[in-house]
Amino acid sequence: MVQAQLSIVPKLRSPGPLLCRILSCKELTVELQRQEEAHKKKDNPNHPSRIMQTPLTIPVPVRRLPRGPDGLSRGFAPDGRRAPLKPEVPEIPESQESLESQEQRARAALRERYLRSLLAMVGRQVSFTLHEGVHVTAHFGATDLDVANFYVSQLQTPIGVQAEALLRCSDIISYTFKP
Amino acid sequence: MAMRQTPLTCSGHTRPVVDLAFSGITPYGYFLISACKDGKPMLRQGDTGDWIGTFLGHKGAVWGATLNKDATKAATAAADFTAKVWDAVSGDELMTLAHKHIVKTVDFTQDSNYLLTGGQDKLLRIYDLNKPEAETRLETLDDGCCNVCMVFICVLIAVSVCALHSALAIHSNIMQPKKPKEISGHTSGIKKALWCSEDQQILSADDKTVRLWDHATMTEVKSLNFNMSVSSMEYIPEGEMLVITYGRSIAFHSAVSLDPIKSFEAPATINSASLHPEKEFLVAGGEDFKLYKYDYNSGEELESYKGHFGPIHCVRFSPDGELYASGSEDGTLRLWQTVVGKTYGLWKCVLPEEDSGELAKPKISFPETAEEELEEIASENSDSIYSSTPEVKA
Repeated sequence: MVQAQLSIVPKLRSPGPLLCRILSCKELTVELQRQEEAHKKKDNPNHPSRIMQTPLTIPVPVRRLPRGPDGLSRGFAPDGRRAPLKPEVPEIPESQESLESQEQRARAALRERYLRSLLAMVGRQVSFTLHEGVHVTAHFGATDLDVANFYVSQLQTPIGVQAEALLRCSDIISYTFKP
Repeated sequence: MAMRQTPLTCSGHTRPVVDLAFSGITPYGYFLISACKDGKPMLRQGDTGDWIGTFLGHKGAVWGATLNKDATKAATAAADFTAKVWDAVSGDELMTLAHKHIVKTVDFTQDSNYLLTGGQDKLLRIYDLNKPEAETRLETLDDGCCNVCMVFICVLIAVSVCALHSALAIHSNIMQPKKPKEISGHTSGIKKALWCSEDQQILSADDKTVRLWDHATMTEVKSLNFNMSVSSMEYIPEGEMLVITYGRSIAFHSAVSLDPIKSFEAPATINSASLHPEKEFLVAGGEDFKLYKYDYNSGEELESYKGHFGPIHCVRFSPDGELYASGSEDGTLRLWQTVVGKTYGLWKCVLPEEDSGELAKPKISFPETAEEELEEIASENSDSIYSSTPEVKA
């Protein structure tokens, strides 16, 4: 498919550097749109260019429209995103808050810290302690969604250095790094 | 399958939008402020265009607006001869800075400690925002008071003057910063003034010249002359570049030496242009109601977009470069994607296999008739009536 599209290009444009290299997707899209415009101009110079003429372009879908002013107030809602810039003073006494929500907050805080620690690891040298007393070091790359695998590079194993590897998290006992 | 740009229209203003500015990227995202001739500048969420609040207080058209880097303060310049500084979180007015003529432009320093203003009185003013007031006012009143006392030897009169003096001092206790430093030299009204080179220098544009001033010495370092009226100026800190538009040209100059780097010609008179943060594209808009997108390196016109109903007065890229906003004579702000089809903000990329059940049907916003567009604006204003699937305007 890419080949076919490449062959369209030289016909409309004067031969140039495009002939000598493969177009990237972005350039292809731009080129296709430009051809469309050129076709339209050729066929009908007065044709408004926004109406769907060719089946090739579809408008980008949107979730919703931007919200406008509510006409009632000047805005800056006190419960808006940025409203409590100062750290909130807990007005509810601790005892009244359910243990559940306290625990939830603690879990959320810990999870956030863990995720930030993973972010801090990216690109660093990490040493992993695996089963059977095996220690390996590698450059940390990324983790997957469930933190089931770690993608690492330059993994130094007892049998050599792996350029890229996936470490199964269930095999890892602990890991350590210096930020 | 190629995707076509869907601009997001932000309505709310009732008169032409003449200036807009983005803040830097904050932990809460980034924000956008728009200056409008209806005197009510608005703050919006930068990535979605959602209205946050309106700064109420100006009594004339607002010609310039800016946000500080972390979007905690806003400043506006208006035709009521004042510039105002606002708290951008609560919407309250913090300071009113009186001028002798229409104020056109305002700019914060990086640390938000100083505000630069410029306007029709041809003076650049630098206000120290941290030094409030009344002591200075008292000093000036004091001199007058002493002179008065010497003339009227009578104790009774002296006492009454002092009483009046203290009454005046209390009255002048509205937030007034210390007297500003003034830079003169322009021979016509200043259209735009910006801090540059890490706030060490000031760039200002009037009708036919662009001048570079040193902040410490308050003297002119260099100036550039143009044959045509300069319509806008943007400063890019990374790379110390200036984007200047005049007539149909979009010119790039060094902000340090003011030497020209390159320039492009557009098909119509351009009122404003903005360069992408990564310097890959630039967008420009002007009198023919269209927005043009150019490749910065080759100068090739990549796209042109119709959508506005009036001349475009200002265009700005967002700080992350993912979208750009345009403000027009038609009273609307439109947000446009840099990479058409990417999922960002309110735009959602839909792959052919996905069932777009939860999405709003694409709002095909091209205008067939003026009435339909007005309908659209009216429905956008009545915010509470958002249904989950707004009807597609065929």
